[in-house]
Amino acid sequence: MFVKSRPFSVSAARFITPTISRSFQTTAKRSLTIPFLPVLPQKPGGVMGTPNDPYTPPAVHKFEGSIHWWIEKTFAVTTLPLVTAATLSSGPLSTVSDSILSVALLGYCYMEFQSCIADYITARVYGKWHNYAMYLLGAGSLVSLFGIYKLETENDGITGLVRGLWKADTPKPVQDEVKK
Amino acid sequence: MMSMRTVLTRRTLATVAGKATPVAPRLKTFKIYRWNPDKPAEKPKLEDYQVDLNECGPMVLDALIKIKDEQDPTLTFRRSCREGICGSCAMNIGGRNTLACLCKIDQNESKNLKIYPLPHMYIVRDLVPDLTNFYQQYKSIKPFLQRKSYPEDGKEVLQSIEDRKKLDGLYECILCACCSTSCPSYWWNQEEYLGPSVLLQAFRWLIDSRDQAGDERRQMLQNSMSLYRCHTIMNCTKTCPKGLNPGKAIAEIKKQMAFT
Repeated sequence: MFVKSRPFSVSAARFITPTISRSFQTTAKRSLTIPFLPVLPQKPGGVMGTPNDPYTPPAVHKFEGSIHWWIEKTFAVTTLPLVTAATLSSGPLSTVSDSILSVALLGYCYMEFQSCIADYITARVYGKWHNYAMYLLGAGSLVSLFGIYKLETENDGITGLVRGLWKADTPKPVQDEVKK
Repeated sequence: MMSMRTVLTRRTLATVAGKATPVAPRLKTFKIYRWNPDKPAEKPKLEDYQVDLNECGPMVLDALIKIKDEQDPTLTFRRSCREGICGSCAMNIGGRNTLACLCKIDQNESKNLKIYPLPHMYIVRDLVPDLTNFYQQYKSIKPFLQRKSYPEDGKEVLQSIEDRKKLDGLYECILCACCSTSCPSYWWNQEEYLGPSVLLQAFRWLIDSRDQAGDERRQMLQNSMSLYRCHTIMNCTKTCPKGLNPGKAIAEIKKQMAFT
């Protein structure tokens, strides 16, 4: 009579250990990863669960998705008229508009670097190193914020700094030398 | 099956034999990516095949089938409809992701033609990539009409001509994965980023006037990975063998996400 066999589905075939060891061919991981960072093991083909399971999106995050998009665009759109004004005008911008410009530029840079980290140092591959990269970026941005404060209070602000690249005041010791 | 094939061969030969004088063969070299899963230790290599263009159909798929029939039956590739409607024969031909059945052979036989599988995919064998992850992603966007209510009369859910027009340029997608596998963002993060192809499909259901699950569909994309890994590189639009614009569809989704 019929021998009752174990139910066998296509989805299970992927996980049954075959007699010959077969695998996928793929680009060596070392050419796609950052050499000095440890990586987590990955599922072959990026397949989670059985082939019939759908992809599970990452959890909804307060500061990700369309909100992130809005903040990014706000920063970008804020800088646009201010950069135009600074380019066209002869003197440095007022302290208020210069501060807005520097903070918006910093915010935009922060978000774009965040994007780079999300692309290349993902939590999926690097685990906690993703967080470390984010902390480093956050700390760097805070230092820059302090730098902006110094620029605005003690110097000509960001527009003055950029202007200095072309037309800087001669440093005091040099002036003294010339006078002699 | 066999008899049908014989008939087909005979007809092809008859067409060729119709020419009066025998012409010199125009041999073109096809360099094809080979990898055998039974010998996983052996590195993948490019294998050369010479095909006489005088006796071959105009498309790359014709050449591949000719090579498989006449030279090397172990050459493995997917194909089905041979007219660009099934999306099986997607591969990287001469550096561009396209369908072998829609890609004409360059008739200059002094130039080689290199054929690789879709880039950055896990390869099952030769030109066959593993698309399991891709189909899992397609499944996750729930590619079917979802409704909370139906018309009172219990009849069809109707759609105006204008609303139907919104689906043009979206419904033609055959999910061949050419665009997704041409996207650098998808290369790095294909486990989490849905990729242009699946996002174009997601938009096809978001824009459908008959669908009532827009909020749920958009909510699914509210994270940094699924949708927002698109950096408008636009390789997807450049490579699409059907001439669609997945890049624009993704931009439209982003717009919908921001303003609804």
